Amino acid sequence: MKIMRIASVSMNAVMKHKIRTFLIVLAIVVGIATLTVIVALTQGANKKIMQQINNFGPDAIMVHSGGGKMRGPATASEADLTKKDMEDIRDIDGVKMVSPFQISLDMPVKYGNKFTTSWVFGVEPSWQDAWKRGASKGDFISDSDNEQLSKVCVIGQTAAKELFADSNPIGESILVENISFKVIGILEKRGQSPIGTDFDNLILIPFTTASRRLMNQPLYITQARVIIYNPAQSSVIASRIKETLRANHHLADTEEDDFRLTTAGEIKKMVKGTSQTLNVFLWMVGIISPFVGGIVLMNIMLMAVSERKREIGLRRAVGAKKKHIVFQFLAESLVLTFAGGAFGVIAGVIIAILFSLTGKPISITWQPFAVAFIFSAVIGLFFGIYPARKAASLDPAGALSQK
Amino acid sequence: MIEFNDIKKSFTSGAVRTDVLKGVTFKVNKGEFAAIMAPSGTGKTTLLNVLGCLMKASSGSYLFEDQDIETLNDDQLSGIRNKKIGFVFQTFNLLERTSALDNVLLPLVYSDVYPADATKKASRLIESVGLKDRINYKPSELSGGQQQRVAIARALINDPAVILADEPTGNLDSNSAKEIMEIFKTLHKEGRTIIVVTHDINVARSAERIVYLKDGKVEKEEVLK
Repeated sequence: MKIMRIASVSMNAVMKHKIRTFLIVLAIVVGIATLTVIVALTQGANKKIMQQINNFGPDAIMVHSGGGKMRGPATASEADLTKKDMEDIRDIDGVKMVSPFQISLDMPVKYGNKFTTSWVFGVEPSWQDAWKRGASKGDFISDSDNEQLSKVCVIGQTAAKELFADSNPIGESILVENISFKVIGILEKRGQSPIGTDFDNLILIPFTTASRRLMNQPLYITQARVIIYNPAQSSVIASRIKETLRANHHLADTEEDDFRLTTAGEIKKMVKGTSQTLNVFLWMVGIISPFVGGIVLMNIMLMAVSERKREIGLRRAVGAKKKHIVFQFLAESLVLTFAGGAFGVIAGVIIAILFSLTGKPISITWQPFAVAFIFSAVIGLFFGIYPARKAASLDPAGALSQK
Repeated sequence: MIEFNDIKKSFTSGAVRTDVLKGVTFKVNKGEFAAIMAPSGTGKTTLLNVLGCLMKASSGSYLFEDQDIETLNDDQLSGIRNKKIGFVFQTFNLLERTSALDNVLLPLVYSDVYPADATKKASRLIESVGLKDRINYKPSELSGGQQQRVAIARALINDPAVILADEPTGNLDSNSAKEIMEIFKTLHKEGRTIIVVTHDINVARSAERIVYLKDGKVEKEEVLK
């Protein structure tokens, strides 16, 4: 095959001009490695965002008491949601369930001489379905616990560990703000909460007990988790909830909301927003640096063409057609960019792994490899075609007589 | 086999037009050993480029084995150079850092059929020019005369219709020059057509016939044998 014979001419040239080869490959390696690292980092960041959204629940809408721009949960003292609000939300089309709860942050908790602080939630049994989380051991809060204002609790695993170490907490009594609660169950482990706090350092008690005995908030509800049927409808339903609550709270058009809604989409915006500017910058660097490699390639190839005029003239004299010369030099560029791409992606993956050791989320899938392959091909062709055409367009008689 | 009819070639640089070939007419027959005697400044290089299909004439007709060269396109000219013409240059023009064998094989890279016995054929040619034990030497490891012999072997690899030599002994000492001319004589005896372009009358005298070029025109022809 003629094409293979010419390709082997290109291979030989790459092998014989070691310094030239080294410089071009190095330039491409730097470019592709940079791009690979950036792909791995962005992919990692995206993966983390997706995790956070899944953590929050793509089908969930959180309704917080109190307006303003503050993130994080509301507390019982600012509660302003009513039972009617809950019922009206439940009636909105597409809403699967509403699970109201009371919340008090950093409550002092005691067991014997052990002491810790923990978030305390007053919940109904629906909490389990709303958060897809129940008791991993023992029982959960029941309807009768709520009816009877029972002083029972289900504790998260961090809180359990703080207070009981390795002994079995079930059946023991703990003091929350000097009120004694009997531990009836241990909550499934969850890890991070939607806003990034430890979601295992919490204590669940009956909603009614929390309202009347602990948090002194018998009328209003602090917060509710709304679950919808179709996550795609999240923002539509959120705006319905907003209308409903504004009407219920008799807010004039000029008044601001006295509640807050959080959807998965907003969590995504919040997490992405902080890294957006940096991402744009990173991507610019990532795309520019392989192109700088391409410019180096073109420079050196142009030099090679003018150094090798006699060789080109000779090849033309013994029968090489223009297209053969184009192919020879283009193949040379491609061999160099693919070598650079291969080493570059390896170097990039190693650097990305080093980054991940410092705690940065990375994700290495097929993408960096595909990106490296495509960029190598594009750079080789784009920056290689001009020198190759220049070589082919040399007048054979003139090229032969070069010194 | 080769027929130049009133070949003219001029170059334009800006507004200045230079007529280099002013109507060259001559013939070379198959199996002939011809010399074109052209002192420098008489359009020798241009004549050689036109003759070697590296450049087209401005006017006139050039028939090569009854084919009108002036009607061919660039790719077809490359084909002619590849199959029909074996070049031997004054400066040898071997590829650096490339073995004698690979240098001889070079024209085959661009030929449509690559003979199965190419390496064998190349080795035989290198042997026939007396470099059997240097087959893997690189040009830098060979003397001028040896390099020119590799170049001759390269010119023969495609069994060309004509061997076109441009001042083949110009860069050689007199002993090497003599040896090279002997090789040409042998090739001629084997039935090959050879054209040597030179300004050296002693080289020209190895041929059967000399065409004298002067001032862009054929001045006279002289039959020697």
